[in-house]
Formats: sequence, structure tokens, C-alpha cells
Amino acid sequence: MFLEQGKISNLQLSVLITGFVLGSSVIIPPGQGAGHDAWIAVALGLMEGLLIAWIFTALARQFEYKTIIEINSLVYGKILGKCISVLFIWYLFHLGALVLDNYARFFKLEIYPNTPKTVLFLLLMLVCASTVGRGIEVLARCSVILVPLTILLIPVDTLLLIPHIDLNDLMPILDVPSEKLLWASQGAASFPFAETVAFLMVLAFIDKPEKGPSAVSRGLLIAGFFLIMAVARNAAVLGPMAVITNYPSYLMAQVIDIGDILTRFEVVVGITLITMGFIKISILFYGTVLGLAQVFNLSSYRPIILPVGILMVILALTNVGNTLELFEFAYKSYPIYAVPFQIGIPLVTLIVAKLRRLPQTGGDQV
Amino acid sequence: MIALLIMGFGIVALIQIPALVQKQWWRELIVFMVLWSAGFILSIMISTGITLPPITMIINKYIIGIFEL
Repeated sequence: MFLEQGKISNLQLSVLITGFVLGSSVIIPPGQGAGHDAWIAVALGLMEGLLIAWIFTALARQFEYKTIIEINSLVYGKILGKCISVLFIWYLFHLGALVLDNYARFFKLEIYPNTPKTVLFLLLMLVCASTVGRGIEVLARCSVILVPLTILLIPVDTLLLIPHIDLNDLMPILDVPSEKLLWASQGAASFPFAETVAFLMVLAFIDKPEKGPSAVSRGLLIAGFFLIMAVARNAAVLGPMAVITNYPSYLMAQVIDIGDILTRFEVVVGITLITMGFIKISILFYGTVLGLAQVFNLSSYRPIILPVGILMVILALTNVGNTLELFEFAYKSYPIYAVPFQIGIPLVTLIVAKLRRLPQTGGDQV
Repeated sequence: MIALLIMGFGIVALIQIPALVQKQWWRELIVFMVLWSAGFILSIMISTGITLPPITMIINKYIIGIFEL
């Protein structure tokens, strides 16, 4: 079933993954529960994320880079396979709505306080819908332009903040109880590293599948490196404030003041943040519509883009009451909620496929 | 607000439905209509002040309850 005609290169895949991981984690930094050791939690989370990526790329490789929807049908049969696929699509859809909500809240609180949230939702969703309608190739090309700008901004930000950095704020290292550190690292793994499981809907469209796993790892490592840098910098500049601030990266950019000439840097940061959000929402949106099209055996996913986008906006509008509730979900429940989707489905599917010796060659399979 | 919603959803339907009928993509038309209707009904409910259940908060409540977080 070829609902998508486009192909992306391995470099584009790496860049897409970097942008996806940086996505909303540049707004809400991971590893918050570990206080000034958050950067260690992120590093541990990166390692767990790499392990999860190894699992899902192994699954994709086993089935010659089909999408998870097609793999589920082959492994579990048509009915059970579709039920599991619907669960996976729900995760992509729900995560997309959460990221959309994160971004709209951030913009409402920090940049456009008088603009109704619905307008922000609709504008962001329209841009994403337009991109998704043009296929994965266009999204990949956009990411090649947008992601390097954000990657460049993190070290530039850090350099400009050197006068405000106090390394004592990072000391003593490993001061946090190990239980808290491990929980924070699980949080960092589930958000954002293991969320790359969404790429089980994208890996089918890479032009050199044999290099897919290394492209995924490369993207994760690059994103992880810059995320660790950003989290450590936040703690070193803001000190204990980094833990209680909603949006530390944005707050820190407000601190930048080079001789009264280079100020209000936060707007530049805001622009790069929205571009990362655009990439993450678009990937999740793309996975949702492509997944639905495959579940219902449609000829194209394009007719359902607008209604699914509207439903995503509705879910984003209604799923949480206030920002504190959203953060409570992100830091407390999400690391548990995400496990069945990020680890459970790919790992169990891989084990069942190995036990059933799937895919069978020469038969009707694959 | 409701008039705006009807107009917006009407435009979406006008763009999609004739193209799907012309191509005789009936399955796509059915899926589109189901999703479109769900979106339309939920939007009308929100605009008339009916509070929809906050799904994420329900999930949050259950996870916190089960795992005693």
C-alpha cells in the first residue's frame, strides 16, 4: 500500500528526528524533577531513548521498513492488528494535541496574551495541515532549513549568557536522591526521546533503508547533546529558579543584554521554538492521518487531513484545564502513560514476530 | 460564533465532498463524513458552552490513582 509517494534521505531523517526531539522540549525542558542534576537525567534519558529507538528500528528492519500499521496486520492478523494500530494512532493523535496545547499556552502566556487560544490553535494547525497535505518530502525539506537554525541558536544563546552563568549552581553533582534522578530520567526518556517511536510511520519512506537505524541514532544523539547543553545552561543561569519557571529557555533569553544593544532576544527564541513545534506537530499529524488511511484502506490520506486537524484542535482545547494540570500530567503521569505505546507495542510486536518467524519469505506475507 | 462554525465546516465539506464523489472514492467519503460530523458536533457543543470531558485529566487521575503517585 503506497499512500505516500515521497522519499526522504537519511540526512533528512536525522534532521527530522533532531527537530522532533527538540520540539516541545525546548519549551518545557525535560528532567525537571532532578533539580540542578536535570542534565544528568536528560543524559540517562537519552540512553534509554537510544535503546527504545534500537527496538523500533529493529522492528521496522525486520519487516523491510513497513509502517507499524502494516506490521501490526501481519503480526497479529487483521482484526487484532487493527485494534492495536488504532491504539498507536490514538497515541500520535493525543500527543499531537498535547504539543499543540503546549505551544498555544506558551504563546498565549508569553507573546500574544490578548489573542484567543483558539485562533493560535487554528493558525498553527492550518500551517501543519498544509504541510502534511504536501507529503513527507516537503516536511523533511522544511526541517533541513529550520532545524539547523535552532541548533545554532542554542550555543549562541549559551555564549551570550556566559556573564550570567554560575557553575556553582550545578554543584554538587549527583546531589539528588537516586530514586528522584531515575524517575526524572524516565521522564526525559518518555518525553522527548522515546516519542520518536512516531517515526515508525515515517521510516517506510527513507531512500536507503539499510542506513535507517544509524540515521535515527544520529538524530537522537545530536538532539540529546543540544538538549543537555540547554538544560545545564538553564540551571547554571537561573539556579533554583530553573525548576520553578514554566518556560526557562524563554525566560533566560530575556536575561541577554549585551551593552544595551542586543536585547529582547526572546523574540528570536520564540520564533525558533514555534518552528520546532511545527515540525513535531506535523510529524504526529502525518502519522495520525497516514495511520487512519491505512487502517481504513483508503486510497489517499489527504481527504481526512482537515477533519482530523479539527478534531486535534478540539482535543487540544478541551483536554486540560490549566497549565499547572498540563505540567502535572507531563511530569507525573506521562512517563507511565507513554510506556505501552513507546516500548510495549514495538517490543511485544518484535517478540511475537520473532516467535512466529515473521515475515515469512515466499508466502503471502510481505 | 455558530454561524462562523457552520460556514467554516461548510467550506471544508464543499472543498472535499465533490472531489471525492467525482473520483468515486466512497470509502474515503464515508471516513471523511464520520470525522467531519464528529468535528462539527463537538465544535457546536463547545461553542454553546457545553463542557467536554478533559480526556488528559481523566487519564492523569487514573494513573495517579493506580500508581499512587
